[in-house]
Amino acid sequence: MTLHIVNQSPYAGSALSDCLNALHPGDAVVLIEDGVYAVNDPRLSASADNSFCLGADAIARGVTVPESIETIDEARWVALCAEHNPIVSWFR
Amino acid sequence: MQFTLVIYGAPHASEGAATALRFARAVLASGHEIYRVFFYGDGIHNGSALAAPPQDEQDLLAQWQQLQQAHNLDLTLCIAAAQRRGVLSESEAKRLEKPAVNIAAGFTLAGLGQLAEAAALSDRVVTFGG
Amino acid sequence: MPRKSILAICRHAPYGNALAREGLEAILACAAMDQVPAVLLINDGVFLLLEQDAQQIGEKNLRRNLAALPMFGVETLHLCERSLRERGIDPAQLSLPGTELKLLQNPGAFIAGFDQVLSF
Repeated sequence: MTLHIVNQSPYAGSALSDCLNALHPGDAVVLIEDGVYAVNDPRLSASADNSFCLGADAIARGVTVPESIETIDEARWVALCAEHNPIVSWFR
Repeated sequence: MQFTLVIYGAPHASEGAATALRFARAVLASGHEIYRVFFYGDGIHNGSALAAPPQDEQDLLAQWQQLQQAHNLDLTLCIAAAQRRGVLSESEAKRLEKPAVNIAAGFTLAGLGQLAEAAALSDRVVTFGG
Repeated sequence: MPRKSILAICRHAPYGNALAREGLEAILACAAMDQVPAVLLINDGVFLLLEQDAQQIGEKNLRRNLAALPMFGVETLHLCERSLRERGIDPAQLSLPGTELKLLQNPGAFIAGFDQVLSF
């Protein structure tokens, strides 16, 4: 199963929607950097079974992560990368 | 597990390289190995010895170099991307007749084949976009 | 070298930034190393297929780089059908000599089948 990494604000570009259009059942999505501004995007909860948000990036920006999304640290991010294959980054 | 990190962002311009540093530390702390860090596109600026960020900001170059020394990391700058953007080794500067050498200690210039090889020999490839 | 299945995803338009050009260069390098990647043009990456005259802006024509891929063993380009439709591009009007253009309705299932993905 694929791990998708999104680093762009959904208000700045299409990385999130492009990612969600390429989701396969069981895939996971990790929001990092400006991608954390997508935590409340209804398209994310509607399309992704497993969503994660890098905690440091959210706290750094003053973004509150809802309970529907698991807040993770870097170690858990690495573990998710080890559990999934391939890994796809959606950026810019 | 062997990880390869591919970095497209210039330091102090995009967040990608700083995020990749945090990820790299977590990879090593989790008992995995880093096969290679491949800097491509604007990411090659991470290997410039001439960056001089203000003292109250994080020094990404120094952090890469510390990590490289501690774990004998392979930090590879794509040579084609680096030539275009002006990060040169002594031999490249001589060959291209350029007036300065600015590749930082701990980094090496190599061809794109090193990205292909890393993709083939690593268990995971993670791209840090610009 | 062990053979891994590698997918290169091109999702950026040519010329606006270096990603499309440097992505194609990386694809050629993989193929030259006997690690022939599959190639998926998705989102703005489908714009690479348009007839173009980059000389007008002093650039090299990237469609020509795309057309060189079969010589390196990349004989199929996978295209996201949805991306074409969203951009008003009729797949029937697209062609690239020596290359099979394959339309994908479900890029997610396609991506999931690879060991490694290089994103450009």
